[in-house]
Amino acid sequence: MIRSKKLTWALALPALALIFVFMILPITNMVEMSFRTPGSSEPFGEDYTWMHYTRILGDGYYWGVLRRSLYTAGIVTLLCLVVSYPIAWHLSRAKGFKAVFLYACIASPLMTGVLVRNFGWMIVAALNGPLNESLIALGIIERPLRLLFTQSLVILALVHVFVPFMVLPINNALRNIPQSLTEASASMGASRYQVFRDIILPLSFPGIQPGVILVYVLAVAAYVTPALLGGQMVSYMPTLIIGELTGTFQWPFGSALAIVLSFSTVLVVVLFTRLTWKLNERARA
Amino acid sequence: MTTVEVKNLRKSYDDFLALDGVSLTAETGQLVTLLGPSGCGKSTTLRCLAGFHEPNGGDILVDGESILNVPSNRRKFGVVFQNYALFPHMTVAENIGYGLRLQKRSKGEIETRVFDVMKLVRLTGLEDRLPREISGGQQQRVALARALVLKPRLLLLDEPLANLDARLRDEVRWLIRDLQQQSGITAFYVTHDQSEAMAMSDMVAVMKAGRVAQFATPREIYQKPSERYVADFTGEANFLTAQRVQPVAEGRYSVHVAGADIEVEGVPGLLKNAAAELLLRPESLTLVTTGDTATFEGEVIKCAFLGASLHCEIALPEGGRLKLTAPPNHEVGAGDRVGIAIDLSHAWLMPEVAP
Repeated sequence: MIRSKKLTWALALPALALIFVFMILPITNMVEMSFRTPGSSEPFGEDYTWMHYTRILGDGYYWGVLRRSLYTAGIVTLLCLVVSYPIAWHLSRAKGFKAVFLYACIASPLMTGVLVRNFGWMIVAALNGPLNESLIALGIIERPLRLLFTQSLVILALVHVFVPFMVLPINNALRNIPQSLTEASASMGASRYQVFRDIILPLSFPGIQPGVILVYVLAVAAYVTPALLGGQMVSYMPTLIIGELTGTFQWPFGSALAIVLSFSTVLVVVLFTRLTWKLNERARA
Repeated sequence: MTTVEVKNLRKSYDDFLALDGVSLTAETGQLVTLLGPSGCGKSTTLRCLAGFHEPNGGDILVDGESILNVPSNRRKFGVVFQNYALFPHMTVAENIGYGLRLQKRSKGEIETRVFDVMKLVRLTGLEDRLPREISGGQQQRVALARALVLKPRLLLLDEPLANLDARLRDEVRWLIRDLQQQSGITAFYVTHDQSEAMAMSDMVAVMKAGRVAQFATPREIYQKPSERYVADFTGEANFLTAQRVQPVAEGRYSVHVAGADIEVEGVPGLLKNAAAELLLRPESLTLVTTGDTATFEGEVIKCAFLGASLHCEIALPEGGRLKLTAPPNHEVGAGDRVGIAIDLSHAWLMPEVAP
């Protein structure tokens, strides 16, 4: 099909406008804000300064929080991958009503509002909540565990809600692997494990990669779950940023923190993509 | 060194009977073709042999032993798929060497054997390409090499030429046959193309709705089909209704066809006055304009001049039509009355549907 250049641009215009208004403008605005001097009676001052960045990079506390945020998101992503892969496998084999039912189950964490879901976790994980009671009833523990306001609970809750973002792309990739490849490798003598290791796993990588990136980015930026379930003892970058922006009204410093977090996240994603580039290129049929 | 015996194989899915008692045999070094239209059960039979499907009944004996309880990765059969099923993330050499790597062969041995088989199928130089970077014909040869390099007990080919263009199909067809004969591997070959089946096979099983309609040599399948379905599927065929069937000897009958009384060979065991049809292949018919030696006379309906030959369709006054190929120098056209001589030794009497 031959289409004029003008028409192509005209068709792209709505998308470009959307990206400009909702992405380019706010980010530019935030970058600019991060260089503003602090204001005394207003959220920001008149002049420009590097001081926010030197303060963040010079303070071990912020490095620590950044590291915790990136690290926790990594754990969440890894657990998500481990949990999601078998689910994606079953989903990719399912047909008809079973497939619809499974899709609905997998999407179910997203059907609840973020606050309701987290308050739900608070009830479940409370000292005398159902989780502790069941564990005691099963004889696994003797006294109730303190689950609420721990890092583990934050990770668990995040894995719970991000599983769909991992399952769906992997399911897609698995569905694209022709059955004949499995049969071919079996006919060449591969055991079920070898078929999985040599054929299925590498060929599902084009689904693993976007799933990992998606979940990682979402996990780094998660605010409500760490704020509600993480308690006051441990801080993550998003909670710090929101604190600066809405608590102490330090917009320039909050913006600088946000930029540092975004930049670090992009760096991790780029690094991951570079490391796995070759594998992905090959598996893209 | 492999004989195969398929005994009364049955396979059904939900409410569809895919195999309704398939029986076949293959002697050592034979290439047996399963021929039939889509849905006739030929691929299902092959997949049961490969171990991808579990039959509901019957047995498959390889060298006298049942293999039904042997999983496909222990059968040591080479399988070539219609879509080639090359591993897209492995290079050509890695694809071919994969089975050897699974067997934990030494690096040196893998390298030599891969190199040798690649030479055999004329792929040398493409070792480091990915499957998507080579042509369809080359992909097909990789699939073949990948199966052959493991020296399989049995080679199973599922429509291996279906996705190739006509020129390549011819080339790869002979390559497959040559390699199969050189290595003496027993092979099963699935196709819906009768000329492919004729050209390559030692034995052909013509399949019909989950059953074997006829299992015989290509020559027999073509010249002595067991029923009309087989004759139809194996090439251009004329059928005339035979009346007053009268057995005269084992497999010989006198019949009344299109106004003439003739004596022909046919399927043994036909009863007196049985409903039967006379098969006349176009090449056993000759156009004669004079009419004196003619067995039949008729009127030319259509005539197509193809350069090297003339394709005519002739209507007989008693009903029925005959298609034939004549030498190009006959000058006949639509509406002409012509005589047709029959090579009676190649006419064949058979039932419309085998009992």
